[in-house]
Amino acid sequence: AAMSERSRAEVDATLQTAKLNPAELLPAVHCLSFGPQASAGECCLLQLEPGLCAELEAGRSLVIRGEKGEQAVLCSKDKTYDMKIADTSNMLLFIPGCKTPEQLNADPASCNVIHSQIAGFSKNYWELRRCRPKLKKLRKLLMEDPYEGPSSQEDQTSTFSKYTTEDLLSLIQASEEEILHHLQVIDACKIEGRYWRVLEFSYEMKLLDHVTQLIDSESWSLNKVPLRTCLEELGSLEPREMIEHILLSYGRKYVDDGEVYFEMHEDKICRAIAQMLLQNAVKFNLSEFQEVWQQSVPEGMTTRLDQLKGLALVDKSSRPETIFLLKVEDLPEDNQGRFNSLFSIREKWTEVDITPYIQDLCAEKQTVGALLTKYARSSMLNGVKVYNSRRPIS
Amino acid sequence: MTPCLSYSGGAGALAQWMLVELQGEVEPRQSGSLAGSLLGDLHYTCEGTPVLIVGHHILYGKVVQLEKPFAVLVKQAGGPQPSPGEPQGHYTVTALIKTKLLFKTRPKPIITHMPKKV
Repeated sequence: AAMSERSRAEVDATLQTAKLNPAELLPAVHCLSFGPQASAGECCLLQLEPGLCAELEAGRSLVIRGEKGEQAVLCSKDKTYDMKIADTSNMLLFIPGCKTPEQLNADPASCNVIHSQIAGFSKNYWELRRCRPKLKKLRKLLMEDPYEGPSSQEDQTSTFSKYTTEDLLSLIQASEEEILHHLQVIDACKIEGRYWRVLEFSYEMKLLDHVTQLIDSESWSLNKVPLRTCLEELGSLEPREMIEHILLSYGRKYVDDGEVYFEMHEDKICRAIAQMLLQNAVKFNLSEFQEVWQQSVPEGMTTRLDQLKGLALVDKSSRPETIFLLKVEDLPEDNQGRFNSLFSIREKWTEVDITPYIQDLCAEKQTVGALLTKYARSSMLNGVKVYNSRRPIS
Repeated sequence: MTPCLSYSGGAGALAQWMLVELQGEVEPRQSGSLAGSLLGDLHYTCEGTPVLIVGHHILYGKVVQLEKPFAVLVKQAGGPQPSPGEPQGHYTVTALIKTKLLFKTRPKPIITHMPKKV
């Protein structure tokens, strides 16, 4: 430091003036002064949630993500946190090289005057709160240009953006693991090894249809669909990667005696076929729909209405009863927006009906009941508990 | 597209800094910036109680192990200018803070009649 530093003698003189007994003090003293950049406001404090400190010390990254207009979030490898400024009424000074009494006692050579420079100070810090990753945008980006199969003329003339994992990491406010997990949930796949794509729904159904027809003609058990034969039989119709992708999307892969098989997901297949039927009209007569639906699914599969949670809604108040498509992933991502939209679709909901449409809003350890208490008002209707909006919906 | 980025973990252990929490404001004695000016002397009693002599005040505090440690983020030069309240900009994590010295007690004024000559 260019300025004259305090000397031992000056320190002792101050102690004397203050009437403090040096014998009651540890021999070392820190002379605190403000460093050259202390006022510049270049430093700020980030309060770490449990686990984040250990991650930093292990050398792993934390990233702040958010475009202009988005509320910033902080992401570790597998979690996402909202960031908020917290004010204290006190002044916080942050000081490098400042030792605790234990550290001083552990070092016998410390009977020194330690000149410590305050690196910065603040009356506030960033606070973190674990939040749901903001993944709706991920699906939206990939739906800009769904993959329609090799026969569609695309790629060369395509003006749409294609997204690599790195692109998605820079655009989506979520951790890498949450993004990769969601890509799996929405059955995205990598085409050309680099770009994440989702399949256009009718192409996906075409692929599924190839597989289910083959299962039927080969009389395979739904639990033991051989990959090799599928590729052999269908490889002339569709790219091998797509055949394997559809098997992975609608089945569970396993190996038996060196061969790869798939255990098909009955519920997921029935659900997809229901979506295919329902998307053709605003609503359907329920009993007619159920009949057509059962006839449309592969031999050996049984359709059930509970397979359609979060996909379709039954209107029991209409005569005859009807059913219509309502996909939870098409609804707003934020809590209030979601509830507003649900209550504008239907004024009163039973807990059973609304649960599939709000389940994904639950934070860590939060229940659907807690959400309903917060965002809805309950009443009784014909002896059944129903929920409606807390505020008038326009 | 990527407005801001935080630390990439890597070579070298993170430095451990300390937090000192004081009531009130810190103001320079003379006009001008704080840079370079002295704050005071920090002692510890033999029992480990921190004692801070600031100007004409003695402050007694305590050592607190933070339940939630802090990371110190340092803004990188050359990043986009952030608006107030937005953490946009490039930061690196420079240090961790796991301990603070909390001075909450009312400062005891030091009454001097004669400045001690050194």
